[in-house]
Amino acid sequence: MTKVLVVDDSNSIRDMVSFTLKSAGYETVEAKDGQDGLSKAQASNFDLVISDVNMPNMDGISLCTELRKLPDFKFTPILMLTTESSTDMKMRGKSAGATGWLVKPFNPEKLLATIKRVVK
Amino acid sequence: MLKNNHPQVSEYMAQCLPEFMQINHYWDKQRNMVVAKILPGEFYMTTENVAIATTLGSCISACIWDDRSRIGGMNHFMLPVTNKEAHEVNWGKKDKTSDATRYGNFAMEHLINTILRSGGRKLNLRAKLFGGAKVLDQLSDVGQKNINFALAYLDQEEIVIESSDLGDIYPRKVIFEPCSGRVFIKRLDNLHNDTIIRRESDYRNQINQKEISGDIELF
Repeated sequence: MTKVLVVDDSNSIRDMVSFTLKSAGYETVEAKDGQDGLSKAQASNFDLVISDVNMPNMDGISLCTELRKLPDFKFTPILMLTTESSTDMKMRGKSAGATGWLVKPFNPEKLLATIKRVVK
Repeated sequence: MLKNNHPQVSEYMAQCLPEFMQINHYWDKQRNMVVAKILPGEFYMTTENVAIATTLGSCISACIWDDRSRIGGMNHFMLPVTNKEAHEVNWGKKDKTSDATRYGNFAMEHLINTILRSGGRKLNLRAKLFGGAKVLDQLSDVGQKNINFALAYLDQEEIVIESSDLGDIYPRKVIFEPCSGRVFIKRLDNLHNDTIIRRESDYRNQINQKEISGDIELF
């Protein structure tokens, strides 16, 4: 089963994203910020990471940078799901090693279609 | 009364966040401060001593601020009435990822994220909630749906609601001062405000037609 790490500081968003993924047959683990996400990533393997950008303790861009340093996450797809739509932020995400950038509000079907494209 | 070319407004505009440049700012002589006036579907956030004003019918405004760093903002939104995907996809549990919920979540989260990005801390966030009036004699009470959503959202995000003025039949004029957390509210005479109703129904048509999703880019 495809295992997804969902990182977002908003309870509502974590809930909606997890719900969407579970309905489509994915297994999800939730983390409440970048720091929490990083420790959960270190403790287990994932096929995909979906992360918010603005979060307390550790933001999504830093999480992305940290994950790329871990051997197990070198090639794992990382999708940023965020309210940030500026080119500048997108470029920061890209250079941190993100696989894709999704601007909220997310469409459940499009999210699932995007996941199918990036998860091998 | 509304003077956009007041020197204080021009001075403030030089430091206004670029995303809020298109919002109407005016000088409020009585308050002795710059006021940003938002319309349905807009939101505003400031770290300066600036007030935010709006007029609400069945729409909701959440005033959210960090009571330590004294920055905050206000949104003005309603939930779309249609639920385009509900009949197409079986989501199991109804409404959780419906257009309406996702749109409302976005309106709230966009405001909150802008506050956090400007230095606010989630733990310090406080909220005041206004609007959701039944301004039209309609069968479905859209105001109440908006109220229910906003209350549930703030509860789920564990943001304390310090005060609220919700429901009833009166449109409201709201002025929020993020640096103090103070809100001034005036209930308006329902009969003389078809501008509010017209603006809201234009906004409703717009959000019901527009697809509720952002861009996707794969690097």
